[in-house]
Amino acid sequence: MVSKEITCMSLIQEKLNALKENTHNTVNSLLDKMALELAERVDAKIESGAAIGLLEGIPFGIKDVYMVQGTYTTASSQLLKNYKSAYTATAIQKLLDAGAIPLVKENCDSFGHGSSSENTIFGAVKNAINPNLVGGGSSGGSAVNVAKDYTVFSIGGDTGGSIRQPAGYNNVYGLKPTYGRISRFGLMAYASSTDCVGPIAKSIEDIRIVVNVMSGRDIKDQTTYESKIITDGSIAKNQVKTVGYFKNFIESDAINPEIKEDFLNALERIREKGIQVKELDFFDSDTLVSTYYTLAMAETASNLSRLDGTNYGNRIEGENLKDTYSITRSENFSEETKRRIVGGNQVLSQGFSDEIYLKGLNLRDQIAANFENDFKEVDIILSPVTPNTPPKIGDSLKDPLAMYLSDAYTVGFSLGQLPTLTAPQGTSTGIQITAAKDNDEKVLQFANFLKDIL
Amino acid sequence: MSKIMTVDILSSIKGAKESKAVSKLFEAIKNANTSNNSFNNLNKSAVSLEDLRDDVVINSSALEKSIIKENFPKEKKGYLVVNRVIEE
Repeated sequence: MVSKEITCMSLIQEKLNALKENTHNTVNSLLDKMALELAERVDAKIESGAAIGLLEGIPFGIKDVYMVQGTYTTASSQLLKNYKSAYTATAIQKLLDAGAIPLVKENCDSFGHGSSSENTIFGAVKNAINPNLVGGGSSGGSAVNVAKDYTVFSIGGDTGGSIRQPAGYNNVYGLKPTYGRISRFGLMAYASSTDCVGPIAKSIEDIRIVVNVMSGRDIKDQTTYESKIITDGSIAKNQVKTVGYFKNFIESDAINPEIKEDFLNALERIREKGIQVKELDFFDSDTLVSTYYTLAMAETASNLSRLDGTNYGNRIEGENLKDTYSITRSENFSEETKRRIVGGNQVLSQGFSDEIYLKGLNLRDQIAANFENDFKEVDIILSPVTPNTPPKIGDSLKDPLAMYLSDAYTVGFSLGQLPTLTAPQGTSTGIQITAAKDNDEKVLQFANFLKDIL
Repeated sequence: MSKIMTVDILSSIKGAKESKAVSKLFEAIKNANTSNNSFNNLNKSAVSLEDLRDDVVINSSALEKSIIKENFPKEKKGYLVVNRVIEE
């Protein structure tokens, strides 16, 4: 753009056209008017000879769970089909301030409830590589848009793997930063104790730039903290000496044999480079998945209780106020969302909370303590992203338990609130690179190293 | 006076029932080993009282106010319309 080979307007128009014509069901709404106005400003700035920033004029996508003032924010749900954001999320505002141009609110599982992006009123998101397969979820539209070059980067949301799994299914990078690194203000809450804002992109450099822009303490999200800028120099040279992997993930009967073999081969390549590889013990998949879903369902039951057709949402009138609430919620929530709300209310109710919810919290503490011990032994933990390749469209909806279990490799790192990146190497659905809390820099550094050896 | 509330009432969802898939998750939790029964660490992610921000009132912009009103399902003469409130 600076060398005037292409104008920002033509770049943005080209991307908008590609999004409009695409058949992967990635678009909930196009932000064409806003995008073209911003592009015009960037062109005027370049024309005037003023210097432009790294993200100025760069087109990006936004999962449809982020508030952007004046735009529809539907969470891919019937209930919020006509809901307009009154304000803009902090993370998105920072990108706008840096000059990036939002093109699209992207399709996803409704309220983040799903691992396939089929639980949506906008049609199942189709995988970028094979459209008969799911796009992954819940940030499926975002990962597919990046993979197809409709956006340069997209902002997803990750509660139990919702950035990392679709990134893996579509062979792109996806980062779940350390919990609290990026403000959640303006992100529609699913499970507040693990919700994270993160980027999906085709290069580590793009991930680094976008994370730096979005990071930082925000008075509107009191779980945020001040983090250090990640410089390109700091991730250029690998300083990781020891990596670990969870033996039980790889020895499980549930893992696809090809993913297992590819992952073990990747470990061998790492060993050949003089890095020590250690086996680690971890909780079994059933415990991880059950702990995560128990806590996430309890939190989502609470977070979505405001969606009753009076405070928010598409109201359906009943005989009285209570009736109105319950008809509105019954008719407008999807089956998966209702399943999670009911499950959440079950675990929070008297008689259940001690043996399930409080036990879940206890397990979460043990999982976090396990990670703390692991990171005394190793610098990085590696894991496959998923036990299996993407399912066919339609299969996940038939078997919710199988869908929950497909999150076995991602949910543990969410419960630990750790920085984890999907790198599109090693296995057909990628490799997850995890470091201790606030070591996002080390994750990107090791990804740079893996890029060259796998 | 405690009254047992069923999940459909708790969830404000007509006809809501427990799901088999979710019940299997709960069974796994019940059967999992926990190291001890103390829940001392539960609040380590919570924000400390010293870190809480001050209460400040920030006036919404005219645009924000107009969008908030636009989102209300029903409005009459500047008021939000709700259905007949039941007395229990």
